[in-house]
Amino acid sequence: MSKNGTWKTSAAGIALAVGMGMSPAMADNVVLWVNSPLASAPDAPIYEELQAFEAETGHAVEVQPVAHMEMERNLFVALSGGAGPDVMALDIAWVAGLADAGLLADLTEKSEPLAAQFQKGPFASGRFEQKQYALPLYTNNVALFVNDKMLAEAGIEKAPTNWDEFRQAAIAMTDEEKGTYGLTFGGGRMGAFQLYSYIWQNGGDIIDTEGNVRVGEAGAVGAVDFLGKLYTEDKAMPEAVLTAGSWDEVNAPFIQERAGMLVSGDWAISALKNGNPDLDWSVHPLPAGKEAATVIGGYDLAINANSSVPDASWQLVEWLTGPRGVELMRKYNRLSAAAGATAPEAIASLPEEMRPFMEQADAGRARPVVAQWSQIHNEIIANAWDSVLRGTPAQEAMAEADKQIKALVGQQ
Amino acid sequence: MTPRTLPGRTLRNTWSSVFETGWGAHAYPYLMVLPAVVVVIGVVVYPLASGIITAFYDVTLRTLNSGSAEFVGLRNFERVLADPAFVQASVNTVIWVVLNVVVQLALGLALALLLHRAMPGIGFFRSGILVPWVVPSVVAVLTWRWMYDPSVGIANELLVRLGLIDNYHPWLGDTSTALYAVTVESIWKGTPFVMLLLLAALQLVPRSILEAASMDGASGWRKLWYVILPQIRVSFAIAAVLTFILTVNNFNAIWLMTEGGPLNSSEILFTLAYKYGFKRFDLGMASAVATMLFVGLVIATTVYLKLIQAREGD
Amino acid sequence: MEAAAIHEREQEKLAARPKSRALRLPRQVRTGLLYLSLWIAFIWAVFPFYWMIATSIRGKEEIFQRPPSLLPHTVTIQNYVDLLVGAQFWRYAMNSLILTLGVTIISVLISVTAGYAMARHRFKGSVMLPLFMLYGQMFPPVLLLIPFYVQLRFLGWLDSLYGLTPVYLSYMLPLCVWLMRGFFSQVPLSLEDAARMDGCTRWQAFWKVILPMARPGIVAVATWVMIHTWNEFLYASTFILSEKKRTLPLGLSGLIGQYTTDWGVLMAGGVITAAPILLVFFFLQRHLVSGVGGGAVKG
Repeated sequence: MSKNGTWKTSAAGIALAVGMGMSPAMADNVVLWVNSPLASAPDAPIYEELQAFEAETGHAVEVQPVAHMEMERNLFVALSGGAGPDVMALDIAWVAGLADAGLLADLTEKSEPLAAQFQKGPFASGRFEQKQYALPLYTNNVALFVNDKMLAEAGIEKAPTNWDEFRQAAIAMTDEEKGTYGLTFGGGRMGAFQLYSYIWQNGGDIIDTEGNVRVGEAGAVGAVDFLGKLYTEDKAMPEAVLTAGSWDEVNAPFIQERAGMLVSGDWAISALKNGNPDLDWSVHPLPAGKEAATVIGGYDLAINANSSVPDASWQLVEWLTGPRGVELMRKYNRLSAAAGATAPEAIASLPEEMRPFMEQADAGRARPVVAQWSQIHNEIIANAWDSVLRGTPAQEAMAEADKQIKALVGQQ
Repeated sequence: MTPRTLPGRTLRNTWSSVFETGWGAHAYPYLMVLPAVVVVIGVVVYPLASGIITAFYDVTLRTLNSGSAEFVGLRNFERVLADPAFVQASVNTVIWVVLNVVVQLALGLALALLLHRAMPGIGFFRSGILVPWVVPSVVAVLTWRWMYDPSVGIANELLVRLGLIDNYHPWLGDTSTALYAVTVESIWKGTPFVMLLLLAALQLVPRSILEAASMDGASGWRKLWYVILPQIRVSFAIAAVLTFILTVNNFNAIWLMTEGGPLNSSEILFTLAYKYGFKRFDLGMASAVATMLFVGLVIATTVYLKLIQAREGD
Repeated sequence: MEAAAIHEREQEKLAARPKSRALRLPRQVRTGLLYLSLWIAFIWAVFPFYWMIATSIRGKEEIFQRPPSLLPHTVTIQNYVDLLVGAQFWRYAMNSLILTLGVTIISVLISVTAGYAMARHRFKGSVMLPLFMLYGQMFPPVLLLIPFYVQLRFLGWLDSLYGLTPVYLSYMLPLCVWLMRGFFSQVPLSLEDAARMDGCTRWQAFWKVILPMARPGIVAVATWVMIHTWNEFLYASTFILSEKKRTLPLGLSGLIGQYTTDWGVLMAGGVITAAPILLVFFFLQRHLVSGVGGGAVKG
């Protein structure tokens, strides 16, 4: 299905005005939806980059910033109404659902030559059932933020590197008198997102590469039990864990120096700097369990399967995810998903607090790419974690989650 | 009424005389409601019908895209009824509606009676008390969420200082308080409108009736029950129906405060329908819930209005 | 009901009079209690708004201070400066204003005539139509998103303020008509008859006599539409995509980040969003409740 008439007319107009004489190729109007933090102000770096793209190719790009909270719904409404953007920035967790519904253009052939350009984990996030539907725009993972002052006051010299040290540090920094806690964590789906790294670290999995549901197994249960008990038994997490459904709420106790550790991604850096400039903190790779692992997040770029300008859209995706995109993401202080970004010299050029993220990038693991992922994450695992926080034994909660997920994906 | 046959002034001849006799007179009321009917058919009936029809089709992201949605009869309803979340959401909806409607009407009436008096500074109080109604609901909900914050929320601090609680409580994070915490916000937001409707109605009550009652020495409660309430019963009925509809369809409050959580403890049917539709992208199930909700509302409202009419007929 | 009241009055006269007198509290105490309850209601209603303002003018460090203090220690207008200088908020406000005026005028015009006709005239469907209108309001609005989207796309009205207008009408009009009908039915028939006696046509009687009488009702309905249009979020966030056409609540939601939310700025945005409608409202509120019905209605 094509865009409506107005857009076509304006595309033609812009083609005449901009494209003529500058580029021999057909000039098209590409509509691009990005998550609003990337286009928060008229002088956001993306606009400059798109001007460069327009000058080079003759296409015109219309940027429409959409808030993260509304992106999924608006995409659904627009795409099911037969419209929607040509190119869209997608949280990597949404790719499978949209690809499964046949709404994303298949980029397998076009992207094959580019595969070596990206880090493996982020590149895999755009893959669904052996086909490539999206290319990574930027990546992130979670690391451990430590309040150095609180850690020192608790008599611990260095940031924890394994689960035992992690638990001891959390308990040591918990002080009922002073109202301090070892660790701030999220509830519901926020906590679920933080859980995944621990499940993998414990040798467990959620849904493995063969598609087997494994949340009821010892690895997953053990990780949930370990974290749940930090709250229910050791009282090492503030009560805010029960409501923390956004990063702000997770960050708040850390910012207020009421919690000594925080499991979060690079996005926390600016929140901490803004929230409390006097805070004395440092970032460390996530403490390892049986193995090191950290959950990969970030945004991919994908193309609408019904786009009327597929070629121009592909040019735009290639441009923004290519070498110039690396530079662009640096301006936003985001981690590039390019292969070169994990090289030691590239890491060294990053700001100090960003380095641990890139250093552990090789331990990054993508969440299962299954069509029902949104529901598995937002409802089933989030509810399991919420029940554990409210006293249900991890074994029981995860067994129930296992049953529900199996029913959902059709493995009884 | 036959004005033209009356002595004295005769009918002025204007374009609007067309509506006085014959065809014009007959068409007059229809012409007056026509614009409203056109708008309602265009933007209410069509989307509504389409919403209800969806409940009987297998509409998901995938079938919408391929255009292959199939008629599935009542299967969406069966799937909804089998979901334990639906049962909880139904119970919560009843609690949510009863609490909101009863408290909003009672408080609204009390406030209207309080603000009806001619007292120095009454305008100041009236304006202030109407503020919650005017504040954008998104803003109001975010503010309340901020006030309920378990670590720096002012609501907790105030309750501690008043000696009502010992420690900060995660109001929105406790399964036993989440629904009620949101209800408090919703009552705060909804009561002023009820108050306004009733206040306007009170202004219509002829002073002579009130004065007569006072002179006869009727006590406050008796005066309220036997004199004032009967006089404003139409407005009260309107307020009740509106509060009912607005409460059932109050999405912002619950969605922006708890998203129906934790563990579905504050889920109402509306938020459940939204989750089915825009989180699971299963529009069939979402429309099934919405249709049930719609039918329930229609029945409840009709019965209520019939009861009112029956009483008026006495 | 009337009879009951009179009957009751008789009874009161006979028996309850001395008793109820005896129960009366002294006048000063009663006035004191009245003002006390007024103040409690006032603080309850205004406090969250106060807290919003208080948060918006605090320094960044103070926002997460524990325990929170009722009065800000440091006062800064930085959050407002950040929002209003150079940012898009002015444009959003303009869009909100245009949309609100448009929707309000159209809904008042349509609902006045329809409400009047329903209250005064018997015609086919004059009983069912109001109920039908009300039912139109009862389907959960979120589920109408997709049908609306399809309609707007068909018309080519997506991403435009004029496309949003009919959508808002669907959400406002049924209640407006219903409320108007209620107001018109409270204006006594005798007034219209008198005007007709004086030689007015039906239309003139409506236009010159009834409409002015129903003015408080019209103001009330207009205020209702204004407030809800100004504040509407769900439809606007789905049908408006370009930056240029956003309304204030959309601008506000843009301040809620995926990862971080600056509560100070957000609350400042809330104050800015709420301020214009509050001002309009304070200006109108005198008309809103004062003299509904006026002298002519008094028994």
